[in-house]
Formats: sequence, C-alpha cells, structure tokens
Amino acid sequence: MLPLLTCLVAALTLGSQPASAADPQAGAQPEAKTEKAKKNEKKPKKEKKAKKKSDKPAPDEGPTATDTDAAPAPAPADQLEPDGKGTRVTWKQHPSFRIGSVFRIDLEAKFQEDVRDTYVGEPDLPRTQLHRNRIGVQGHLFKQIEYEVERELTEKELDAGKTPKSPWKDVNVNLTFVKNAQVKIGKFKIPFGLDQLTGVTHNDFVYRSLGANYLAPARDIGLMVHGSFLKHGFQYWSGVFRHDGDNARSSKIAGGDETFASRATGTPFRALAQGLGEIGLGTAFTVSKLSDDSFRPNGLRGRTIMTQHVFYEPVYVKGARRRWEADVDWTVGPASARAEYTLVSDDRRQQGIGDNDLPNARARSWYVSGTWLLTGEAKARPVKADGEFLQGGWGALEVAARYERLWFDSTGGTDVPFRNPRAETILPAGDRALTLGVSWTLNRFVKVQVNGIREQVEDSERNPVPNGAAFWSRVIRLQFVL
Amino acid sequence: MFRTRFYAFVGAAALVVLGGLLSPSRAQGQSASSDAAAALFDDTVVHDIRLTISTRDWESLKEHFKENTRYPADLRWRDETVRSIAVRSRGTGSRSGSKPGLKFDINYYTADQRFLGLKNLILRNNTQDASNMRELVSMKFFRHMNVKASRESFARLFVNTAYVGLYTIVEDIDKDFLKKNLDENDGYLYEYDFDEDSRIPYAFEYLGTDPAKYVPMPFKAQTHESDPRGDVIERFIWTINEAGAAAWRQMMSEFLDLTAFMRHLGVENFLAEEDGITGDYGPNNFYLYRFEKKNLFTFLPWDKSNTFWESPEYWIFRNIKDGPEDHRNRLVVRALQYDDLRDAYLNTLLECAASAEEGANAAAADGAAAPGWLEREVGTLYELIKAAARSDTIKPFSNDQFEAAITDLKTFAKERSAAVRRMVADERQR
Repeated sequence: MLPLLTCLVAALTLGSQPASAADPQAGAQPEAKTEKAKKNEKKPKKEKKAKKKSDKPAPDEGPTATDTDAAPAPAPADQLEPDGKGTRVTWKQHPSFRIGSVFRIDLEAKFQEDVRDTYVGEPDLPRTQLHRNRIGVQGHLFKQIEYEVERELTEKELDAGKTPKSPWKDVNVNLTFVKNAQVKIGKFKIPFGLDQLTGVTHNDFVYRSLGANYLAPARDIGLMVHGSFLKHGFQYWSGVFRHDGDNARSSKIAGGDETFASRATGTPFRALAQGLGEIGLGTAFTVSKLSDDSFRPNGLRGRTIMTQHVFYEPVYVKGARRRWEADVDWTVGPASARAEYTLVSDDRRQQGIGDNDLPNARARSWYVSGTWLLTGEAKARPVKADGEFLQGGWGALEVAARYERLWFDSTGGTDVPFRNPRAETILPAGDRALTLGVSWTLNRFVKVQVNGIREQVEDSERNPVPNGAAFWSRVIRLQFVL
Repeated sequence: MFRTRFYAFVGAAALVVLGGLLSPSRAQGQSASSDAAAALFDDTVVHDIRLTISTRDWESLKEHFKENTRYPADLRWRDETVRSIAVRSRGTGSRSGSKPGLKFDINYYTADQRFLGLKNLILRNNTQDASNMRELVSMKFFRHMNVKASRESFARLFVNTAYVGLYTIVEDIDKDFLKKNLDENDGYLYEYDFDEDSRIPYAFEYLGTDPAKYVPMPFKAQTHESDPRGDVIERFIWTINEAGAAAWRQMMSEFLDLTAFMRHLGVENFLAEEDGITGDYGPNNFYLYRFEKKNLFTFLPWDKSNTFWESPEYWIFRNIKDGPEDHRNRLVVRALQYDDLRDAYLNTLLECAASAEEGANAAAADGAAAPGWLEREVGTLYELIKAAARSDTIKPFSNDQFEAAITDLKTFAKERSAAVRRMVADERQR
C-alpha cells in the first residue's frame, strides 16, 4: 500500500495546484506558456464553450482518451494548438511530448486498488487487490493519424487463471482522413453496450454491470469505420473483428469467431426538450460465427459480480451468435439515469446428446441506474469537482444506485429442463443484484468509491451461499489517474 | 350383535395390520428398498449398462482421457433410466484413450439426483488386468474376510447402442458407502492421492508440523473439503514416527485400531497386492476415514487390480523386510515390531489361507477334486464373463492373453494358501 499512498499524496498535491503549475516544464518552456496565452487570447469563446464548467480537464478526459468509446474522438486537428511549433514537454492533461503539430505523445496511467469483503466461505477472494494498474501512451502523427497503446501491469483475471485476457488493452490506430468516416484498426472495444463502452475510470460504480461483463463482447482485434453527423446528434460505429471479444473467451472457452458489429447512438430529443437535459439513445448488434471445434462448451457463462462465482456454466453451441442491445442515457443537471437491455442468442446445431439440433441458448440482462451529485456539479463522466479537495473545496460527492439482472435459458424445448450443457431445455439460471454506492471525486486525479452489492443467484443449487440466500459484498476503491 | 361383529372386525383388522408390520417379509422389503443398488452389484450376472452421449463427447472423452472433463449423458440399466448425469474419464495408471475408465457423477448437475440410491458409480476398465477380475475377486475376498470393501459386479457397456467392452462396476467410497458400512458418514474421508511425479514415494514419514504437507497431497479430502483438518493427520503421522517406544501403542490407540489394520494388511498381502499399503511403489490404493468426533482412523481398500501378482510365492513381507528403504511403509514396519501385532498379521494370513480353501475337497465322490472358495470364484466368474471379454475388441489384451491370465489366477487361487502357510511357518520359526 505504500506506493499507493505515495501516489495519493502526490495526486492530492498536484490536484491542489493550478493546472498550469502542474506542468513541470512550465518554467523551462516559456514558449509553451506563450502559446497557451496566445491560444487563450485567440479563441476564448471556443475554449469556454468546449470546457463548460471546468478549465481543468481530468487526465482521463482528454480528447484522445482511450477508455471510452462511447463517442468518437475528435480529429487531431481539434486538439492541436493551431500555431504549435517546436519541440516541447508539457503537462496539462497528461505528461506530454510534442513536436509542433506533427507529433504528440501523452503518457497515461490508471491505478485502481480495492479493499473488499463478501460472504463467509469464499476463501479465494483476496481482501485487498491491485485491481487495475495500466499504463499507456496516446497521441497522433500529423493531423490524421491517432494512436494509442495501453497495457495492464497486474491483470487480476490473468493471475486467477480464469480469463486469459491479453495484458495489452487498446493498441490501435485511428485514421481521420474523412471526418465522418474515420477508420480504426487494431485492438479496441467492439462497439456494443453503453456500460461496456464507458471507460473504467469513468464508471459510476466500482464494477460494471453483469451484462457488460458477461454478455457484451469487450475488446478484440478488428477494423471499424465510425463517425458522427448533426453535431454529434447521430453517431455510428461499424466494424469487423477477428473474434467476439475478451468477455466471451477464457482459458477454457474458445469464444466466437469472425464478428460483425454495428452501433448507433443519437440524441433525438435534443431540440425538443432542452429543459430535460440530454437524452441519448443507443442500439447495437453483433453477429459472430460459433464453432464447436473445442471439445469444451463454447457458450457464454454467468458469474457473480465480485467473487466471480460461476452460477451458469457454458453450454455447447454451434452456428451463429447474435447480440442486440438498446440503451438510454439521460443526464440532467447533477443527476443521471441509465438503462440497458441486452439479448444474446446462440445457435446449438447438432449439440444434443443424440447429436440433434437444440433450441437456441439465450442470455439476457438489463439494468437501471441513477446517480446524483450531492455537491451540485453538472453530471459528467468523469465527474469534475467544482471545488477540489485541499484547494478550497471538498471535491464532488455523488450517490449512485443500480438494479440489474442477468439470466440464461433456452428459447424453447419440449423436454424437462436440465442444467447439463446439452440440455434441450436449459434450466434457467440468473443473478439479481442491487448496487448502492458513494463516489468521492477529490480532484481530477483521485477518486474514492464505496459500493455495497446485494446479490441473489436465482438457482439455489448454484448459489455460492447455502439455502439460496442473498449475500452482500462490499468494496472500497481508490482510483488514481494520471 | 352388530356391535360385537364390529369389535371383532376391528380387532381382526388390527391383528392383520400388526402382523403385517412384524412379519419377516415386511422386514425384507424394508431392507431391499434401503439398498436399491444391491441388484446392480449382483455379481452372478453380467449387467448391461447403456449410455447415451453425444458422439462428439464420447470421442472427446477418449481423446482427452487424461483430463477430468465431464460430459452430459443419460444412463440406463434394466428399466431404470437416469437423465442428465456427468461422465468423465478416471483412473491413474489405468487411464486409457481406447477403453477409458469411467466415473458417473449422478448428482453433478442435480444435487439431489440418485441412481438406485447412489451418487456416483465407477466403471473400471481393467486395462492393467488381462483377466478382468483381479479387482472384483479381491474386493469380494475382503468382504469375505469381514473387511469393509466396495461391492462390485461385471457389466457390458453400450455407448449409443454400440458395445464398447467389459467393465467392472465399482461401488464408490463416498458418504453412502460410509453410512452403509460404518454406520456414520460425517467424519473426515481422505483418498490417498499417489504422486506419480515424485521420485521418492511418500511412505508415512513425518514431514513436519505444517498440515499442508499432508492435505491435500497425499491425503485428498473427500468430505469437509473446506476444513479438512490436516492437523489431525499430522499428529497421526508424528505419532507413527516420533512417539517413543514405551508410549507408542498407547498413543497410537488414539489414531488407529492396529489389530484391525493388521487384518486389512493381512488380507491385502494374502492377495499379493503389489500396489497397496506395502506396494512396490510405496503406499497406495486406500482411503482413510476419521470417525466423527474422534481422532480414530480406519483404512479402506481401493483399486485392487494389481493383486494376484507374479506367483503364489509372493512374499508376505515384501516391501516390509525387503525392497528400497524409502519405499517401506513406516506404519507397517513399526507396527510389526510388536509381537502381538505380528501375530495378528500372521494369523490373518492363515485365516485367509483357510478361507480361500473353504469347500475344497481333494477327493470328491466322483473322483474330481473340489476347488476351494477362491478357485471356485475365479472359475465361476470366468464362465460368467468369458463371452463378454472375448467380444470386447478394444481391450488392450488378446483373447489368448485373457485365457492365460485366467489360468494364472486359477493357479494362484489353488496354490496360494499352501504357500502362505509355509511362509508363516518360516516366519514363526525364526
């Protein structure tokens, strides 16, 4: 914990200084300072409009921020200082090295450390966990080539041997030659699921929703075209991927193969209901090939939130996997609400005990969530405190609640339901969870989240606690973002 | 008049009901229903076990026979069908990709599901035994000698209607077995997990105070898995090795009925078990059960496919007085230093010799010699299984090897008693 405390103290110290003072090269780079001054003089209105309430963007908020794909990143031209020239090192959002407007590289780091507890009899759960420790770089070359590389240093799921996710997270290049038809190549998130596409450091809760973790595909290698119209009133993403994402794979589950994915979002009520804040609607689908080449079942699995207890084992599948989701994201003043419904349907051709076709395996999830910033800031992700801690304020305090369900069954069948992976009628299994949380954003670097999670596995035989009872899990997360 | 008849009728009815409750037939019926699996373990017939499983899974199970991956299947025996069981490959040295040993987890997908009252069922493939019957005959002999052991019978296995081969149905040692045989099942059951990768076998030597040195390897908890109490095993092993000579018997009595243990050992070595408590590779093939609320353990025999080893002259002190020092079971070596325990061991061997010869008659009325119990069993079982064994085309032995193995078994059964008596006499003369 000592390095973490050191980081925390450093972050609080950094956060308590004005943004310009946080730039360690400010004094040594008078040109850069001059440029900033020029920029402020040159386009004061545009800057004010873009940044709204705060002129100190969070480190994970930058225009090339890697961990949110909810909105396409603006072209590099938007983030360039128009008259930027020369070589310099700056630290505004991130430590950054720039060569005029030709090249830029920003260093990033995200650390999330957890203290947690759950039901008695879960010996495998580490009470403290360095949950995520990611470092990366992002930037651009010339005006049309953006890039990002991010690596996990302590992938917990890798350590547990349960999910052989690559430690490499986002490794991709985004070509912005055509602004409304940008091309992204490499490894990044498949465009599916509002919660899954919300960056890990931006989330309202410590853990993503069950549907985001187990039904949405997450990252894969592919090629995607994306863009926006009507001043971001309509956005789209559409791409092909090698597989169907990290969430569908594990050391024992092969996952789907070639995947086509498409997502669209819009704000259709923007002109009609300005007093009601911003309402975003989204929908997405994917289609993947599913093979039964592996001798192990290749279906999706269901696990509990914190302990990752498997309450639904994968079933044998073959054919195609189809995902569909719809989501709504509403932000008004200090409050926000989100809801999402996801449906996954897997073919099971020739997967019966008698090598017969079976009805499709089906997985569904939904959640509704709400947040309220008690300290009155306008809701944003990430939250930006009006008064930073140790800088004349106490940071931003937000309460949040989410209720959700993830469940699995089959689409039909005349046989009696069984739990086995070749059952004609799959015995339904699900998990319902209520998460209550408080998030304290001390400054743009540091956030503390406290969550209590009540879960109940619907099939008592697959419940990790006796007699099918509900159980509580508790977690405190300290987050530091550079 | 009506009232008198009424009372007479009621009285007669009560007598009928009471008589019914107390009658022997009622008692037998209760017994039969409480042991629904008895018919499955009837070793006078070859049973037909029919498995319905995805052809893909069956091929995968054989291809990945070294893994314990479970596959769903339906099981049928006679008119009894149980749906949605889990089947997996099993065994240690006997694992095979062509004729896999199988474990049926009846309750893997449904916790309260039973088949004839059983949670598990084992189909032993006998790939290390050309005769197919060492295991079954040995377990039957253990029971014949009043040592608790699994019931077994023969079965022809059909997978998706195709005959796969001849197997031995084995009663698993689990809570049901414990309840039936020891009248309790809430104690601590451990399977001895032989470490095939270890160059030097574990021979009950003391490894230190850390319970993790004993549990889960080599003593793998089968009950109370979350709190297997390796500390009690540590104290048991410490006592075997470290307790002083004067207090050894007294201290050991807390952990083991040594006389009963000598009986187990005697039966095992009468059967010339090459891979057992005093096996060639170090101790192996047993379960250890600690009784409820006590520190008292008992040994339970397991996997006797390497009995009838080599010849009837198999030495009764093999790996006790000879063999590599680090292979010798510390418990056995120390226990046999006590005269009364050595006598118990030798007496058990003599009792086995007598039992194996039960019913033998050198000069029967028709002039033919009547074989003893053990030889009769081998002969009867041979007649029972020979057709199924011969038509088993995936067994790793030829039919000639099968016949030769049966001949060896018959010879062993015929000559073992005399050989053991001679060895016991030699030992007592020393």
